[in-house]
Amino acid sequence: MIAEGALHAGCQFFAGYPITPASGVYKAMIEQLPQRNGVAISAPDEISALAYCVGASGRGIKAMTASSGPGWSLMIETVQYALMTELPVVIALVQRLGPSTGGATQNGQADILFTEFCTSGGYTIPMFAPSTPQECYEVTTIAFKWAELLRTPVIILSDKEVGMMSEDVDFIKLVSAPVSYRKEFSTKNGTEHHTYDFQNLEDVPLFSPVGGDYKVTMTGSAHDKKGTLQKNSRETIDVLLHLQAKIDAHAEEMSIIRIDNEEQANTLVVSFGITARTAREAIRRARLAGKKVRNANVISLFPVPGTALQAAAAGVKRIVVAEENLTGQYRSVIRSLFPDQEIVGVNAVGTLITPKNIMDALL
Amino acid sequence: MEETLQHHTYTKDNAVFPFCKGCGHHHYVNHLDEALFALNIDPKNVCIVSDIGCIGILDSLFATPHTFHTTHGRSTAFATGIELADGILRNSKLKTIVVIGDGGATIGLLHLVNAALMNVDVTVILANNFLYGMTGGQHSQFSPLEFVTPTTPAGNIVPPIDICSIMKSCGATYIKQAVATDKNLGSIIADAVNHPGFAMVEVLELCTEWAVPFNKFDGKTMNEKLRHSNDGGVPQRKDFATLYKEKVLGNLKKTIDDTVTPAYTSALNGSRRIVLAGTAGEKVQLASFLYMKSAIASGLHATQKNDNPVTQGSGFSLSELCVSNDEILFTGIDQPDAVIIASADGLKEVLANGTLSRCVAETIIIADQTLPEFECAGKISRLPLRALCTGSRAALSALAALNVVKGWISQDALWEMIDGKFKDKSGSFHRDIEALMPFIKT
Ligand code: SF4
Ligand SMILES: [Mg+2]
Repeated sequence: MIAEGALHAGCQFFAGYPITPASGVYKAMIEQLPQRNGVAISAPDEISALAYCVGASGRGIKAMTASSGPGWSLMIETVQYALMTELPVVIALVQRLGPSTGGATQNGQADILFTEFCTSGGYTIPMFAPSTPQECYEVTTIAFKWAELLRTPVIILSDKEVGMMSEDVDFIKLVSAPVSYRKEFSTKNGTEHHTYDFQNLEDVPLFSPVGGDYKVTMTGSAHDKKGTLQKNSRETIDVLLHLQAKIDAHAEEMSIIRIDNEEQANTLVVSFGITARTAREAIRRARLAGKKVRNANVISLFPVPGTALQAAAAGVKRIVVAEENLTGQYRSVIRSLFPDQEIVGVNAVGTLITPKNIMDALL
Repeated sequence: MEETLQHHTYTKDNAVFPFCKGCGHHHYVNHLDEALFALNIDPKNVCIVSDIGCIGILDSLFATPHTFHTTHGRSTAFATGIELADGILRNSKLKTIVVIGDGGATIGLLHLVNAALMNVDVTVILANNFLYGMTGGQHSQFSPLEFVTPTTPAGNIVPPIDICSIMKSCGATYIKQAVATDKNLGSIIADAVNHPGFAMVEVLELCTEWAVPFNKFDGKTMNEKLRHSNDGGVPQRKDFATLYKEKVLGNLKKTIDDTVTPAYTSALNGSRRIVLAGTAGEKVQLASFLYMKSAIASGLHATQKNDNPVTQGSGFSLSELCVSNDEILFTGIDQPDAVIIASADGLKEVLANGTLSRCVAETIIIADQTLPEFECAGKISRLPLRALCTGSRAALSALAALNVVKGWISQDALWEMIDGKFKDKSGSFHRDIEALMPFIKT
C-alpha cells in the first residue's frame, strides 16, 4: 500500500535494493512504475539507490526508495545530502529486528532514534508511522506532500508486522493527502534565481531543476543562498537555521495523532505503528472490564506533536508508552512534555507486545 | 596564465584557482572549459557533478553550467540518477559530466562500474594524481608501486587499479587515458562528452604538494612510465535510457489482481485465529492465502502472516491467520483457535515458537498421524494427512476440512478459490476432504 500511495502521489522514480521486510514496496514499484511511465531501478546497493533518487529529484522528479535498518545504515550519508541540498525525497523504512543484520523476519520498532537523529547537526526529518495498510497509503501521500512542499527528505517508518502482513483493504475507503508539487521558480516575480533563496528563515526556496532555465548550484557543504561554498558568513549560518526553521514552522500542520477519548480517563496510552493496533485492542478489552482509559495513536512521530500530545494527556495521572524496543525510545523523546505526570513504558524485543502487556500497565 | 582562467563562456570571470602552484588540476579545468567551449553547448544543458577532494571544488569555478557538489566518491551515482531522470522522463537534454579524483573513484568504484555496465549517458573525467591530495597526501588504490606518500614512506607495495581495464570489462563504450598536459586533452574531453552512452577519460596528473617532493616524479616520468595504451571501449551499444524507453517503459505486463469482492456471507461472530505449520515447498502459505481471500470473499476481515527460515525454500513454513467479523486490531495469536501441523518441520517450529504452549482446552489441533507424540492443552486429532493428501495438499485439505466442520468462513467461497486456483486438478482436494472428514474431532 506504500507503493499504491506513492503512485497516487505522483512518484515517478524509484530506485531500491531489496531487503526483507521492505521488498514488497520494491517489487510493487518495479512492476508498476514502468506501466505508469515512471522509472524503477534495481540499484546495486543502498548507497546507489538513494543517490539515484536524489539525483532524479534534482532533475525535478518525485522520487522514493524503500529499505530496512541494514540498508538504511548505508543511506545516511545521502539523506543528509538531500537535507542540505533541499531536495525532496521519500524514504520508506520497514523496521526489522536489529542491531546489524538482526532478524529479517522479526519485528522491531527500534529504529526511531537511529533514523530521526541520523544527521550530523541534528536536524528534524519529518517521520510518519502507519499502523494499517490504509494508513500506509495515506501516510505515503502525506510524506510526498511534505517532502515536496518543504523540499526535504521525509521518512515513512513502518515495521515488519505492518509491512509484511496480508490483509483486507477497502479501496473505497482510502484517504489521501492532496497531490502537491514543489513550487517552481520563475522570473515572473522579478527576482534573480538563487538555488537556496528565502526571505524569512522559514520560507522554502523556489525550486528550479538541473537542466532547467536557471543555473542551479547544489552543494552538501555549508553555503550561502546562491549555493556558494562559505564558512561562517552570516548568510551561511542563516541557511543552516533556515533548514530547521522551515520544518518547525509547519510542525503543527504536520501533527497527526488519532485520539480515542475518555473524559474520565486515568491513563493515556501512547503508541504507533503495529503497537497502535494492539493498544486499540487492549483499550477495547480494558473498557469492557470497566477501566477508564484514553488512547493516542501517534502517526507523525517527528516533528514531535507536543501540543497535541499534551492536550491528549490532559487530566490523566499516568502515560503508558507502548513500543517494541528495549529502552523506550519514543518515551525518552516525549518524557519532557509531561513534567508532572507519571510516564511508564511497555516494551518488548523480538516479540509482539500483547494487549495483556498494555492492560497490565493501566491504572 | 596557468593560475587564472582565461575568459570563456562557462567559467567565472577572474576566478582564482584554489589549487597549489603547478597542480595538474589547473590543466584539467582549462581543458574541460575548452571542451565545453568547443562543443558550443548551452550551459543550461550541462550539469557538472563533482565530489570531495581538491578536484571536487572545481564546481565553484564554473559560472554558467548547473553544478552538483556531492559526497565523497558518490558523484557518479548522483549523476546516474540525474541522467536516468533526464534521459527517460525529461527530454534528454542534459550532458552530465562527473568530475572525480582517484580517491573518489576508489571510494565509489561500484558507481563507476554500474554506470559503465548500464551504459548511462554520463561522462566521467577522472583526475588521477595517484593520491588523496586534500587529506594529507595519503596513497590511494591508484598509487603506482614504489610510490612514496606520507602513508607509504617506504614506497607503495600494492599494485594500482587499472581503471581503463576495469571500465573495459564493464562494457564502457568510450575509454581514453591522457596526461593533463597533453595538448589534445580538450578535444578528448569534448569527444567523450559528445559520445552517446557512458564515457570515461582518465587524466594523469601531478600533485605538486605531495607527489613531487617525495618521488622522482615529473611530467616526463609520468609520460614514459605510467601512460599505457589500454584505450578504447567496447563496440557501441544502446545507452540505458534508450533501452529502457524501448523495452520497459509503458510495458503493460499483467500484474496479479488481488481484488476480492465479498459475494458470500459468513455468520462468524468474533475472531478465529489459526496457525498452519508445515514444510517449505508444500504450499502451506498458499493454503493460508487462499483461506484469507475466501474469508474476505465471505465479507469478513482477515489477516495473514508468514514465517520461514532465511532461505525460503527449505525447512519449516508457517502461516498465521486471523478471520473476524470486526476490524482486526491485535495481529498476533495469543490463543489459537486451531493449529494444523502438516509435517515434522512444522511440529518442530510450533514447539519452538511457543504456539503449542499458548493453546487452551478448546483449541483444535490437527496433526499428521505419523508425527511423534507432543504435549498440548488442545484437542488433538491425528489424521493421515500426508498419506491421503500427499505433503503438498496436506495443509490446504486439512484447513478446508476443518472449515467444513466449523463453518467459520463460507465454504462456497473457499471452493471457488480452490477451483479457481487449481482448475482441473481441484478434484483431488474434494476427494481429500471427503476422506478426512471422519477423522476430525471438535
Ligand atoms: S594538494 Fe595536490 S592535488 Fe591538491 S591542489 Fe595541491 S597539488 Fe593539487
Ligand atoms: Mg587524487
